[in-house]
Amino acid sequence: YILVFFYTFSLSLFAKSTEGQDIKEVKINLVASKMKLETVLERIQQITPFRFVYNSSQIKATGPVSINASNTSVEKVLQQLLEPNELNFEQNKTQIIITRKFEASRFDLTLAGAIPAAVADTSITVRGKVKDDKGQPLIGVTVSVKGKNRGIATDANGNFVLRADHTDSLVFKTIGFASVTVSATGNLDNIVLLPATTSLTDVVVVGYGVQTRRDLTGAISTVKGADIKNLPVSDAAQAIQGRVAGVDIVRSDGSPGTTPSIRIRGTGTINNAEPLIIIDGVPAPNLSGLSDINNNDIASMEVLKDASSSAIYGTRAANGVIIITTKKGSYNEKLNTNVNIYRGVSNVARYIPLLTAPDLVKLKQERYTNDGLSIPAFWQDPYYAVQRTDWQKALFNTGHVTNADVSIKGGSTSSNYLFSMGYYDEKGLVTNTYFKRYTVRINSEHRINSRLKVGENLQLTARKGNTLDTYSSQTGLIFSALRFNPAIPVKDDMGNYGSAQANNELGDINNPVYTAETTDAWTKNYRILANAFAEIEIIRDLKLRLNYAFDGTMSNAFSFLPKTLTQVRTRDDAELTQSNTSTGTHLGEAFLSYNKTIAKDHQLSLTGGISYQKYSGSYYSAQRNGFDDESPYVLVLDNGSIVYNAAGNYYATNILASGFARGFYSYKGKYLLTATMRADGSSRFAEGNRWGYFPAVSVGWRISDENFFKDNVHFMNNLKVTGGWGVLGNQNVTEFQYLATIIKNRKYNFGDQPFTGIWNSSLANPNITWEKAHMTNVSAELGFLNNALNATISYFDKNTIDMLVPAAKPDLHGTSVVPDENIGKLNNHGWEFEVSYQGGKKAFTYNIAANATVIKNKVTQLYAANTYISSSNYGRQNQEISRTYEGQPIASFYGWKTAGIYQNQAQIDGDPYIAKDGRKDNIKPGDVRFVDVNGDGAITEADRVYLGDPNPRLQYGLQAGASYKGFDLSLSFTGVAGVKLYNADKMQGLDPTYSYNYYAEELQRWHGEGTSNSVPRMTLSDNNGNYRTSDRFIESGNYFTLRNAALGYTIPSRLWGSKSSTNIRVYLAGQNIFVVTNYSGLNPALGYTDGNKQRGVDVATYPQARSFTAGASMNF
Amino acid sequence: CDKILDVTPKGTYTTATYWRNQSDAVNGVTGIYNVLLEEDFTGHAEFTFDDPSDDQYRAGDHSEDVAIENLTYDAANAQVRFGWRWKYEMINRANSALMYIPKIQGMDETIKNRCLGEARFLRAFAYWRLLLIYGEAPVVTEEDVAASNYVKPKVSADSLRGIIQSDLLAAADLLPAKYEGSDRGRASKGSAWGLLCKLYMYWDKLDQALIYGEKVLNSGNYNLAATYVANFTPETSNNDEMLFAVQTSDTWGYSDFTTYYTPREWNGWNFHQPLQSLVDEFEAGDVRKAVSIMSPGDKINIGSSIATYSADMSETGYHFHKFSYWKPNGGLNYSLKTPLLRTADIALLVAEAKIRTQGVGAGDNEINMVRKRTGLKDVSGAGMAAVIHERRCELSGENERHQDLMRWDKAGLIDITTYYNKPKYGKGGNVLVPARTFIRPKHYYFPLPQSEIDRSNGVLIQNENYK
Repeated sequence: YILVFFYTFSLSLFAKSTEGQDIKEVKINLVASKMKLETVLERIQQITPFRFVYNSSQIKATGPVSINASNTSVEKVLQQLLEPNELNFEQNKTQIIITRKFEASRFDLTLAGAIPAAVADTSITVRGKVKDDKGQPLIGVTVSVKGKNRGIATDANGNFVLRADHTDSLVFKTIGFASVTVSATGNLDNIVLLPATTSLTDVVVVGYGVQTRRDLTGAISTVKGADIKNLPVSDAAQAIQGRVAGVDIVRSDGSPGTTPSIRIRGTGTINNAEPLIIIDGVPAPNLSGLSDINNNDIASMEVLKDASSSAIYGTRAANGVIIITTKKGSYNEKLNTNVNIYRGVSNVARYIPLLTAPDLVKLKQERYTNDGLSIPAFWQDPYYAVQRTDWQKALFNTGHVTNADVSIKGGSTSSNYLFSMGYYDEKGLVTNTYFKRYTVRINSEHRINSRLKVGENLQLTARKGNTLDTYSSQTGLIFSALRFNPAIPVKDDMGNYGSAQANNELGDINNPVYTAETTDAWTKNYRILANAFAEIEIIRDLKLRLNYAFDGTMSNAFSFLPKTLTQVRTRDDAELTQSNTSTGTHLGEAFLSYNKTIAKDHQLSLTGGISYQKYSGSYYSAQRNGFDDESPYVLVLDNGSIVYNAAGNYYATNILASGFARGFYSYKGKYLLTATMRADGSSRFAEGNRWGYFPAVSVGWRISDENFFKDNVHFMNNLKVTGGWGVLGNQNVTEFQYLATIIKNRKYNFGDQPFTGIWNSSLANPNITWEKAHMTNVSAELGFLNNALNATISYFDKNTIDMLVPAAKPDLHGTSVVPDENIGKLNNHGWEFEVSYQGGKKAFTYNIAANATVIKNKVTQLYAANTYISSSNYGRQNQEISRTYEGQPIASFYGWKTAGIYQNQAQIDGDPYIAKDGRKDNIKPGDVRFVDVNGDGAITEADRVYLGDPNPRLQYGLQAGASYKGFDLSLSFTGVAGVKLYNADKMQGLDPTYSYNYYAEELQRWHGEGTSNSVPRMTLSDNNGNYRTSDRFIESGNYFTLRNAALGYTIPSRLWGSKSSTNIRVYLAGQNIFVVTNYSGLNPALGYTDGNKQRGVDVATYPQARSFTAGASMNF
Repeated sequence: CDKILDVTPKGTYTTATYWRNQSDAVNGVTGIYNVLLEEDFTGHAEFTFDDPSDDQYRAGDHSEDVAIENLTYDAANAQVRFGWRWKYEMINRANSALMYIPKIQGMDETIKNRCLGEARFLRAFAYWRLLLIYGEAPVVTEEDVAASNYVKPKVSADSLRGIIQSDLLAAADLLPAKYEGSDRGRASKGSAWGLLCKLYMYWDKLDQALIYGEKVLNSGNYNLAATYVANFTPETSNNDEMLFAVQTSDTWGYSDFTTYYTPREWNGWNFHQPLQSLVDEFEAGDVRKAVSIMSPGDKINIGSSIATYSADMSETGYHFHKFSYWKPNGGLNYSLKTPLLRTADIALLVAEAKIRTQGVGAGDNEINMVRKRTGLKDVSGAGMAAVIHERRCELSGENERHQDLMRWDKAGLIDITTYYNKPKYGKGGNVLVPARTFIRPKHYYFPLPQSEIDRSNGVLIQNENYK
């Protein structure tokens, strides 16, 4: 006997449980008076081995119940509780499935009335199996006969048997999936339920709790783990690209393992605008944590987009919050093993046409002739007129991706668990770029007694990666491949790497294949993310939850650069650097939650608590030079002959102390109110500026629950409008800006003895404090066709104030960092649309979901009128490309406008644009005609203007899925429109003053009147500034891509025997399958190159791979 | 509640926790010298401002240098911007030292004076480079640092000269005459006197120049090295003659300077190639020619072997030799000090000042002091032509020629346009650079960086000639 005694003011429970698992046999004592049915069921769940499966809105809709049962079977107790409320129940092993007696909508009722009563002798036995879209069996799906009080639930293998009339329709329903109605036939072996994109009864994870979607008043989007399962990408951010309105995933770089940037509802600040990532309740210190998680471990991702939903995270929420919840076992769940394996290949999607060696020689010669200079002997050497290497093809190889993971989950009455292990291995397009990850996850939860629950989430990750430099315009690999002379072989006949050492005309770049093949550099990261919690029910409806989490990372980096005397950039001694970094975050939280329904109509839910989080870390590194032996197995610091460098320090410690509270109130489920408040204190600021207060409030009205709506509107099942406003903070700024810090570092010699030097690394701003964002959100949620068609429309307006911007100072302060000042303002406003439809009958089902976001970004205040924030300069010529001006979108392009090319001297002589230009004598036919915007008769810096906005005005996604007789197909398209890119690489790639190879487009250059109006003449001395930053290199960045597609087949389970629960799905999938774009560079999805201050500038970064994978997903 | 949020920066000093004692002061001053190693400062960029001269062809592969050489540069030219902030970085580091060191208690007075003298000398050096390149530039004082006031208008060239003068005079008082051992390479009294001499020459205050130049020559502490080559040999380049040099080092304190001057085949980047006209300037038997220039057929010790220089390694047929030195493993030897101010330079300035104030022959003594170690005969009755010739041979590649020519042009001693209005020829008569037009007074200075004008929001005004 298990004896549990529980007593509160109005409820007492006493359970007496036998070893048996039958609801007829298990007897309990239960006393309750005017209790919520849900609460009573929960009690029964706690004292018996049974687990209820029900639609919580149906249970919530019932009135209070009373019972006084002593030594009564569960079956009897349930009869007493449920039958008066028109609810049915059925036992399925340890599950008890509760369904409504008349599970029908208004339409069904109308129909039911028209159909005569069923005739008994036509009844048949229906057998079948229910699966999800991935072919996994669905357990506990309610199968009911439409219009009749009859039903059953599927078993652990998804199977069911029931009697029905051949004229009947069967309705399949379960939480989180779209219901399906089919005609009753003997064999229904292939019922597939598709995940519901918006299900009102879905439980949505919100900060410090959960809520049903029905009750939400904030803007939260959910991506289910099933939607992103087995996508061949290294992190969850890449997986959700295009799936959530308002979320822009920006990949600056396609190299393996590089985490993209995430922008929720636009770029909210010039500073760090990444959202806060919460993994199972633990806030992660930064985005890179995303690549520590195996995507197949993710149960759901919630994106908190507005102030109301995210204000509970206060100072870290201004850029939105993403809550990742990992998979867990369930109580009383049979052990279930899931294995996923896939492998694939990837390649580069496009190349840039470059000049071949003979054409290059021709154009180089033309360059000297045009300038009246002698053609140097070098360009007359026939060796360099022979094409030997396509450097892009030499650098880009076939990549590979491999994944294997296994998870085991299950649970008993008092404990549940999930254990998973994963291996992910991605080899990039460029030699020696890779990302490997090993993950282990252990999630478990235990009921100590009826009032105390404890649990933990443990995530262990080891990853190793190597990314080579693809950003620099000095040494970047792709930059180098686009410029290295095509007459040089990758390796010569002697096996030596080709080199540009022979002449200045070859430029100061190293053979990119040499660099990729000889650089041995990697970083290994280890992370432990451990979270332990206890949940105590203090009194009825009042719970206390305690969390402690530790998030620790350790990383080891190794970099060996060989001795290089045969390339232009030489290294006369081999260099080995090893470094170590460790960081730790401790989190302690305690919060109370109180849920109560008062007088049936008033639902109240209160949450409040405190939180303390501390981040600290340190690093050190050591370098030795001089390795006589460069064999890989002896490359350790011990073997270097010269101790070159040793460095180490602490990272700045951060502390965040907080108090938070949220209240939710709903009247009759129709009128909803949520109010939130958080107070945050941050150590990043000086005393007096540390505390920030972040309130938010939102309201909702379920119009579709009003009688006037029900009576008059029949085409719509659901209509809810919500509105909210709140204040959020951003503390993601450099620490200690209120102090002027000093660097102690590089050494200088006196008498050939090293002396340490120090200098100010930053100036101080004692007044620095939070950035804040005021955000307003209005949404409408609509459901049609019995909620098969759902739509959400939102409008948002987000004003960032006190934005920290670097003080606008000339370089008179030298190179020390100028501290930010709270003076900027920025606005993002826009619309979001989400629509989804689920349809199909019988064996064929399909779903379509689409989303679109329109955002307008504008900096509304900076230092003063006509002031701007500058961004890093690009390229060898150190050109300025992006400026953030007051009144313009963040990171807009800035430069000169052009109007074709001067075709003859007369045009130059007569051009009013340059009538008074001092450079006029140096301008020749074939030079670019710049526009004299200010009309002063000269082309000067004053003629520079806004040239375009790199932030997409519209981004959209389209997902479609279908399944038919074991086959399933899913497609995900993404696209952006209204975006401009700056092709900086082309700006260098055509500039004839450079000593490199050029783009093939150079053949279109001007070389006589009428020969070109777009590519200027060849010249060594660009006196006209033909290649200054101008609209010539602005291109549309609109694109539409098939981001991923998968075609799967689930092997009929009968092949594995009737008792087997084996389920195997095999599939083929593709990633980045095609891109439709007019952009001429390697890749139209360009990201950031200087924080948020520069976006959409093509610096020839690592392109995104197109990959194809084949895999299998197995359940045992 | 705030107490739990108190975090002391661990491992990092702040201006509030630093500058406590003598070693802090010495480190702070070392930090100022550090700037000299920067590629965008004396590690390379400063030397590109000599590219217009008739001594060298820019070579290399930096197209911004083409405009510098062709005299077609404008305010957006990258080279005009590269070095700007490093000069101000040096000024700011010096300002910090000058603000905090006087407050340090218990310091050895000699060391304190030395530190303050070094800071003032280095600040003067940064302003000196600003003066030569831009003519007019903003001044950042200690008061500006205290008030975080970094948006400032430019001051006139004369104001800049005044500031440099007062810093150098103070430095000359504070600095020791000479250093030994592990202090070699610090600025000395002689460094300050030498730069004062040069400042006055450019200021047309020849009498003053003479006074400070002679202090250098007569002190006995700054004698010329016994051989010319000693100045361009790593082991001996830190000699008495080096009034001020960048203390580059192969292990700690590396600078790219050497790489830029060296042929590609021998691990360099091939910039600044000497022109035939410079090579022709050397008199027969001048030992400086082989030390300074690599000519076809020269046997060069490139560390791993003795190699033969050939004309096809260069566009002009030549490379500078004086800045290239190799280690036995074939790598470049970065321990060769980059000369910024030598006694030989001062001797020739004194000669020039004497000739210009006292007439021909007055500078024979100083010219012959320099010629003594060259294997050449003494001169007598030397006039400006001899000084011009001697400076060209003695200081080739040391970033003096273009400035010398402009100084002499301003003084009416030469017509610079005739030097620049002919092409620069490479080997085989190739035209490397077309004839240029030197416009007075525009080309005496380079424009202020456009980015600085833009960011000052109207406070910093461009040089009149580049508006």
